[in-house]
Amino acid sequence: MADAIALDEIERQLCTEIAAVRGNAGGAVAPESTLASLGIDSLKLVSLILVIEQKFGVNLMKKGLKPEDMKSVRTLAQAVQAGRAA
Amino acid sequence: MKVSLPYFRNRRYLRGIDWVVGSLHEDARKRVGVGAVSQAIIEVQGDLDVTTVRSTLDQISKRFPLIHGRFGRDIFNLAPYWKYPRRHHESIPLAVVEASSEHDADSLLAAHVNRPFESDRRHIRFMLVRTPDARTKLGLVFDHRFLDAYGAESFFRLMHEASQGCLDAVSPRIRVTEPAHLDHWQRRFASGKLLNRMLIDLQQKDVAALKMPEPVRGRGARFVHEAMTAEESSNAIGKAFSEIGVPVLLPCAAARAVSALRGIVPSPGLEGDQYLLFTTVNTRPPGDEWSSMFLNHFSFLLFSAPRETSDVPQLAGVLRDQLFSHMKDKVPDAMEDAAALGRIFPRPLVARVINSMFKGRMCSFYFACLKESGYPEKTFMGKDVVNLVHTPLAFAPPGLNLCMTWYADHFNLVLSYLDGTIDDQVARDVLKQFRSSLVQ
Repeated sequence: MADAIALDEIERQLCTEIAAVRGNAGGAVAPESTLASLGIDSLKLVSLILVIEQKFGVNLMKKGLKPEDMKSVRTLAQAVQAGRAA
Repeated sequence: MKVSLPYFRNRRYLRGIDWVVGSLHEDARKRVGVGAVSQAIIEVQGDLDVTTVRSTLDQISKRFPLIHGRFGRDIFNLAPYWKYPRRHHESIPLAVVEASSEHDADSLLAAHVNRPFESDRRHIRFMLVRTPDARTKLGLVFDHRFLDAYGAESFFRLMHEASQGCLDAVSPRIRVTEPAHLDHWQRRFASGKLLNRMLIDLQQKDVAALKMPEPVRGRGARFVHEAMTAEESSNAIGKAFSEIGVPVLLPCAAARAVSALRGIVPSPGLEGDQYLLFTTVNTRPPGDEWSSMFLNHFSFLLFSAPRETSDVPQLAGVLRDQLFSHMKDKVPDAMEDAAALGRIFPRPLVARVINSMFKGRMCSFYFACLKESGYPEKTFMGKDVVNLVHTPLAFAPPGLNLCMTWYADHFNLVLSYLDGTIDDQVARDVLKQFRSSLVQ
C-alpha cells in the first residue's frame, strides 16, 4: 500500500496535470469540473492515465476503471486514492 | 542547441505536418491526377438561399486572402510558408445544381470531389445540390494543404457566423500567422530518431495490402456511407469501455475495421504478416478551434495488427497497448517535430522517402475515428442541419480509406476506395459489416 495522500491534494495535483494535458488552454480546472467540459477527449484521457500512473503509481486500467470514475476531476481523484489504498 | 533562427512574425509558416501533407498532395496529383483532397458535406432541411451563400463566401474571401495562397520559401532561413496576396477579390467557386434523386445528389457530389482544382491558388470550392425531398446538400471540396477535416467543419461554422453578421467578432480569433519553428533542434532530432526506430521495427514485417489497378492515373474515388444512430454510437463507446477497460473507441474501432476488411485485403501476391493502419489524430488544444482553423493541426499514429489474430476483442487489446505505448513516447508530437526538420527537403523527395517505406505498399488502409466535431451548431444559415459527412479521396496506394466522423450525437462511417480496387457491392457489404460489429 502506498503512502496516503489526502483527497484534496490528489485533486490539486490532478487539476495541474489536466491543465498541462489540455495544453494550458481555456479557463481554470476545478475539482468539480467534468472531464467532458474540460475537453478531455480520448487521446488526452490516455495521456492523463499515463500521467496518473507515473505520478501516483496507480495503473487505473489494471485497477478496473468504471464509467462513474470518469465523470469529474473529483471522481477521478477518488479512483486514484482508492487505487493507492488497494 | 537553443538556437532559434530569425523569421518574419507576420508570416504563416508551414508546420511539419503541413509539409508532409504537401508532399503527399504532390505525389497524389502526379499518380492519380487529384491531390490530397476531401469534401465535407453539410445537409440541411429546406432550400439554402444561394445569394446569401455567395455573399457570405465573398465576405470571407475578402477577409482572409490566405484562402488564395500557395507555397513559398524564405530565402534567408529556407523555411517554407503560405504565401498569399494582401488583397484578393477573386470569388470562391460555387456551383448550384438540382438533383433528380438522392442517388443523383451523391453522384454529383462524388464527381465534385474527384475534379482537380483549376489552379495552384485554388484550395476550396463549393457545390450546392438541391434534392427532390426539399433538402440541400452543400459540398465543400478542400485541398488538405489548406484545411484539415476539422478545419473544414470550422469553415462551415465561419460561414454560419458570417451569415449572422458575426464575421467581425470571429475573425480576430482566427490565426493567420505561425512561427517558423526553427528552434528546439535537440528535441526535434531526438524525435526523428524515435520515429526512425519505430518505422524500422514496423518494416520487419510485410504489410498486407490491396493490389492497385493499372493505370492508377485518372481513376476517381468512390464512396459508401452509413450513418449510425445516436443510440448505436453511444453503445459503441460504452462497449469499448467494457472491452478494453478505458472509454477510448479508437483501438476497438480499428480492430473491427481490420476484421471487416480482412475479406478483401490482402490481394494475392501482396500478403504480409501485419495489417498496418495510418490513423489521424486531432492535435488542437481545447478552446483553440477558431485560432487553428486554417492549414493542418493533426498528427499520425500507426497501428500494426498481426494478421494471425482474428479474435476482435483480443486485437482491440493489442491495439490499445500500442496506443498507450505511442502516447507514452509522445509519438504524435514526435511526428510533428521530426517532420518540421524535413521541411528543408523538396516535397518530391519527401514523397519518395514516404513511398519507399513498406516496399511501396504504404499501409493496408487509412483509418480515422474522430469524435470531435468542428461544427457544434444545430442550424446552418437559418436551416436545421440533418447531417455532416466527409468523403475523403483515397490515396493510392493503399487505395482504401475508412473514416468515422462525428456530428451532433452520432458517427458517420464512410469507406472511400479507388475505382477499380473493389466492387461497389463489396464496399457496401464491408461497411455494413463494420457498422454491425461496432454496435453488436
